[in-house]
Amino acid sequence: MTEIAGNGAGSRAMRVTIDGLRKSFGTTLVVRDLTLTVEPGEFLVLLGPSGCGKTTALRMVAGLESVDAGSIRIGTRDVTHVLPKYRDVAMVFQSYALYPHKTVAENIGYPLKVRNIARQERDRLVTEAARQVHLDELLDRYPRQLSGGQRQRVALARAIIRRPAAFLMDEPLSNLDAKLRGYMRAELKHMQHELGVTTIYVTHDQIEAMTLAHRVAILEQGVLQQLDTPRNIYNAPANLFVAGFIGSPPMNFVNGRVASGRFEANGLALPVAAPDVGEAVLGVRAEDATVVPTGQGDVDCRVYAAELTGDHTLVTVTVGDDTLTVKMDKSYDVPIDSGVGVKFDPAHVFVFDAATGVRVWPALQVN
Amino acid sequence: MFQPRRIGTLAPATKVVIYGLLGLWSLVVLFPLYWVLITSFKEPIDVNDGPYYLPFVDFAPSLHAWEYIFVEVGRDTFRPYLNSVIIAVSSTALAVLFGSMAAYALARIQYRPKAGSILMFLGCLAGVIVAVAALGVDWRIALAAGLAVFFLAVRAVSSRFRRSLGNGDILFWIISQRVLPPVVTVIPIYVMFQRLGLLDTHVALILTYMTVNMPIVVWLMYDFFASIPVDLEENAQLDGASRLAIFFDIVLPLAKAGLAATTMLVLILAWNEYLLALFLSTVDAQTMPLLVAAQNATRGPQWWYMSVLILIMIVPVVLVAMVLHRFIAKGILLGAVKG
Repeated sequence: MTEIAGNGAGSRAMRVTIDGLRKSFGTTLVVRDLTLTVEPGEFLVLLGPSGCGKTTALRMVAGLESVDAGSIRIGTRDVTHVLPKYRDVAMVFQSYALYPHKTVAENIGYPLKVRNIARQERDRLVTEAARQVHLDELLDRYPRQLSGGQRQRVALARAIIRRPAAFLMDEPLSNLDAKLRGYMRAELKHMQHELGVTTIYVTHDQIEAMTLAHRVAILEQGVLQQLDTPRNIYNAPANLFVAGFIGSPPMNFVNGRVASGRFEANGLALPVAAPDVGEAVLGVRAEDATVVPTGQGDVDCRVYAAELTGDHTLVTVTVGDDTLTVKMDKSYDVPIDSGVGVKFDPAHVFVFDAATGVRVWPALQVN
Repeated sequence: MFQPRRIGTLAPATKVVIYGLLGLWSLVVLFPLYWVLITSFKEPIDVNDGPYYLPFVDFAPSLHAWEYIFVEVGRDTFRPYLNSVIIAVSSTALAVLFGSMAAYALARIQYRPKAGSILMFLGCLAGVIVAVAALGVDWRIALAAGLAVFFLAVRAVSSRFRRSLGNGDILFWIISQRVLPPVVTVIPIYVMFQRLGLLDTHVALILTYMTVNMPIVVWLMYDFFASIPVDLEENAQLDGASRLAIFFDIVLPLAKAGLAATTMLVLILAWNEYLLALFLSTVDAQTMPLLVAAQNATRGPQWWYMSVLILIMIVPVVLVAMVLHRFIAKGILLGAVKG
């Protein structure tokens, strides 16, 4: 567990416990028995391709979707069937959901207004929240007069003003342009650290997940694939899906079989200490392989393309029907169609069971 | 291809033609108003001899009709006028309030009434009618028994029913209330208010107009509410607002344009209504349309009195339209540049 305590962590930060959560729309099971715990003050990212159920899971925590089975607890309180307004959570929507007929100040102050907090106190808190997100100059504007980044900040200020038990964020950065997104990402991370509020953040962007999260939960077809720190997710993917989903360029896969301590594929025989699972998939990241002269590597292959991307060169080679991408130094160059060898770093090679997708080597640690 | 052009960029000849056509159309629209206006200043003889078009030239204008309506029978004018204002404004306010609430519920909450339960309700209703009409059971006992049977039966078997209806069916049922002309229901309504002892009262007309106009409100407002992004309301829920607070703080202000248009339409319908008023009011609750019609009495059509009454009937409607027009025009623009 990484260090997650921010400045504000402590009394207010709440644990969010999701247990056996299930939801279907019609006959489609969208979330299947999702169980995870978000520690107080933790920044947890739900990551997955579109349609994997991550937004539905978040909306169930918010109370905007009913729960078919399972339970949700915030702190020690069971909120599974509690109305959204009594859950004490704040949500930032992808569309920001600003009230178009209210000024920035009225938008930010709305949660306090419906709680009947006196006008003076409200104004003070609005000014404070606005200052926190650098909006203090724009309090009298209407949302339509703001840029995308400014609207995003209004939504954030409205979420932080009442110090909720948890923040829920549904792809809050996806409507911004790339440059602003990078900036807001850093700002979001800093602010969450300052406030120390438990945060669940939904995204399909792996960079956002890796950079923001204390821990990442990867979902696919409603099933939790892996829940771990970004580092562990990257360095020790639990299964084929996670291995292929995280990383750019994606991890190389070679189809073959494991027999008597060796992974064998077309022109490749690699000693691995994996159990004999039969059909298997070898996984190697682009940076954990090197292009070497023919005969000196683990496998001989042919160069398909070499692309200089700036700080490094991506060399794509073909081995039988499979292709491998190898990350080389930016000074490296090799002509297309020349014969080369590829050497794998034995410490960073994964073997997955082809039938189940589960990693068999290095063996999964059972917690 | 058709390209909209600014009037200033057109050739002078085209401009003359366009302004000519527009002027002609304005004449068509405004002439009846002008005719009513000058008729109200005519002596009966000028009306019957006419047509005379220009005051002071063709005929000598006189204030006799205005004096008759406002002074001689002033109290008989003022009472229906006040009745009309009270009835139209109250019934419109109630219809718009409840109708837009119903429309909002239909736009945001999924109802799944079971077709079987509705059939059971109709069955119980038929049973009550038979019991009262044919078997002479006291209507109170029959009604209570019918309701009891219905609720018990629904509790017992409604979960067995498969076919259920959706919001679209409810919406269609509501608007279908306006498919048949009101004359179909006017006699039952008359009998109902007669039994209740409410004939010739404001309450009878307000309730009737509210009921008759509510389907229109529901139908129109449903579209406006459905077009509001649901994110806003979900966020307001998480902000801690109740359903009612969301409706009044978030939803209604955003549907202002639709609300203004609907209010205007319903207000005009209630203001001009004749048939139901004819049945439900006689003296105390008499409304303006009846008073206008009454000018065509035994002595033949009193065009001059009618003109005065029509003019004072038009004024408030025009004023309301001018006020509400601001919202409507603004709403259309907001929708167009939504971004």
